[in-house]
Amino acid sequence: MDLILQATVNGILMGSIYGLTALGLTLIFGVIKVINFAHGSLLMVGMYTAYWLILLTGINPYLALIIVVPLLFFFGYYMQEIVIKPVFKAERDVREPITVIIVTTGVWYVLDNLSLILFGAEYRVVKTGLSGKTFLLGELIVSAPKFYGFVATIVTAVLLYLFLKKTRMGKAIIATSFDRDAASLMGINQYRIYNIAFGIGTATAGVAGCVLIPFYYVFPTVGVIFDIRCFIIVVLGGLGSIHGAVLGGIIIGVIESVFAQFMASTWTEGIIYAIFILILFIKPSGLFGARQDW
Amino acid sequence: MGKRKIWQDVSISIFAFLLVCSLVFFTGTLAQAGPKVVKIGNIIPLSGPSASVGVQGKNVREMAVEEINNAGGIKSLGGAKLKMIYVDSKSDPTVGVTAAERLINTNKVHILTGCWNSAVTYPTTQVAERYGIPFIVPVSVRDTITERGFKYTFRVAAKDSWWTRDQILFLRDMEKEFNVKVKTLALVYENGDWGTGFAAGWKKLAKKYGYQVVLDEPYPSTASDLAPVVMKMKKANADVIMLVSNAADAILLTNTMVEFKVNAKAIIASGGGHADPKFLENCKKNADYIFDEVEWETDVGKPGAKETNEKFNKRYGYNLTGESVDAYASMYVIADALERAGSLDPKKLRDAFAATKLDSGPAMIISYDSIEFDKDGQNKNAGIVIVQIRELNGKMDRISVWPKGARRAGYTPVFPMPAR
Repeated sequence: MDLILQATVNGILMGSIYGLTALGLTLIFGVIKVINFAHGSLLMVGMYTAYWLILLTGINPYLALIIVVPLLFFFGYYMQEIVIKPVFKAERDVREPITVIIVTTGVWYVLDNLSLILFGAEYRVVKTGLSGKTFLLGELIVSAPKFYGFVATIVTAVLLYLFLKKTRMGKAIIATSFDRDAASLMGINQYRIYNIAFGIGTATAGVAGCVLIPFYYVFPTVGVIFDIRCFIIVVLGGLGSIHGAVLGGIIIGVIESVFAQFMASTWTEGIIYAIFILILFIKPSGLFGARQDW
Repeated sequence: MGKRKIWQDVSISIFAFLLVCSLVFFTGTLAQAGPKVVKIGNIIPLSGPSASVGVQGKNVREMAVEEINNAGGIKSLGGAKLKMIYVDSKSDPTVGVTAAERLINTNKVHILTGCWNSAVTYPTTQVAERYGIPFIVPVSVRDTITERGFKYTFRVAAKDSWWTRDQILFLRDMEKEFNVKVKTLALVYENGDWGTGFAAGWKKLAKKYGYQVVLDEPYPSTASDLAPVVMKMKKANADVIMLVSNAADAILLTNTMVEFKVNAKAIIASGGGHADPKFLENCKKNADYIFDEVEWETDVGKPGAKETNEKFNKRYGYNLTGESVDAYASMYVIADALERAGSLDPKKLRDAFAATKLDSGPAMIISYDSIEFDKDGQNKNAGIVIVQIRELNGKMDRISVWPKGARRAGYTPVFPMPAR
């Protein structure tokens, strides 16, 4: 029984971190209506940024957030401004800008290969004060970096939610996500909103990078490991839904961790996909997806 | 005026055409006069989950080929130089097969090598066999690669059944030497070709020698979280944990096992990710006491081994591994066969490979005495060493412990390992 408890706790913690990696994807999709295939690469950029910062300065990984988050925000902001916006403008009259999806795929390959050239293929791990630290609650072993990751996820999700609901900029983002033409008519500069949404999405990948570094390794295609999970989580939780992403992540994490106790862990991957397909059959908008017209 | 212009244009173009023709002819003859080039196609994982071992394989090939070329190339072919062509397999069998087709048909390579991942080597060697191009396999350990009666596949590394056999023999020797009884085994392995092949071997041997398998756990190498697997290891509480891991998962497993305080009398790994030099750098003390199985270790007592390793380390910043040594030796096997064949005809080249008996030269940094292929192209002599990872003088070190003849002088293995 305590094994199941242990597996559940681990699943919730790890799952919340999956949710964190998916936050940016769901936000960008919600606003821009584009599936950002480069999301895993943005996570990779976040992880490398955190890795180098921690390695070179020895800073606490959570203090590193102060630097990594703005850095990644501007990275995302200008990537949207310089690379994606021109394509968007060319496709202005199309309801679902397919070319933009292809551009994000291009960005994915460019970023992954750039980091392969710059940093080499090797796996890198940075030892922080937190690496390998655990809390003991009776028999229960809780990994400290995963626990802090859980906290970081909740904080990030709540902040993001408050930002979208309470601030003027947040409301403008939501307005644009509802109807970009109407929002433009109301005086909202939709391209600026896209830049900001992309920036915020990338910044959350930066948060995930800082959270993962203390217990995970980084290499140029690390994004791919999380990418597919992110897509599943986002669809499971509902495209564009923030709490949906977090809960979707936790569901995936718990399934992965608990089911693995009863069967070979090779199976759990299959089960996650089976559940994914089932959700698409029963509730295509996801568990918490708003009924949108797209 | 108009007519004159046309004539001018025509004469200029004729002149230019002749000039180009003569240039092509001239450079053509020049190229023929120079030494021939032997093209070697290498299909190895340069990106994806096995990229770091792929890059090591590439580096060591570069060093060996440079040595061979600097020493005058292939003398029987008029000093022909070896020219390496690398293709990234991405550890994907389909990518490997297309790469082989392309290298043979477009690049017209004379010899192929690769592919590290058994799953890629298996179908890729089949392509080479169909075209009749010699394929040298430095490292891919799946048994069946050299059990298909192929004429053009030659493997330098030991088969994986030899690896599992030696791991269990080692374990039995340890039990005797330290008078400790081992009853239960936990088998934890990556779910690819390589891991499942090892597991099948272990299960057969466990039955034969009366060990009880209490956990049989294949896991995906690209898993984002291995804590669930580690929890099962903890619950199984086996005497000995047997591992097969690629690079990233070896790091994650080792660190998570320490976090969850998984205890066992011994942890026996199977090279691959555990033999990757980056493994120790990334896991440090967490890797203490792990036994690993390799074909070669830097402390092997062979002439030239130390120097070659130092040269390699100076160039690339890390030590040679058993797998890199196999790749290094493979380049000398190729040079030796080319030298004896004196021809680039695939048939003659194949026969030269089949007749290989390489027992001298720089390749002899290997842990055994000569490279010879049996009728299926398997290196008969490939040997295996078991090392223990230990922290010595504040540095993580890999120390040869088995077979006893290869044990580093003055070292006693730690068995069973202390509790965490």
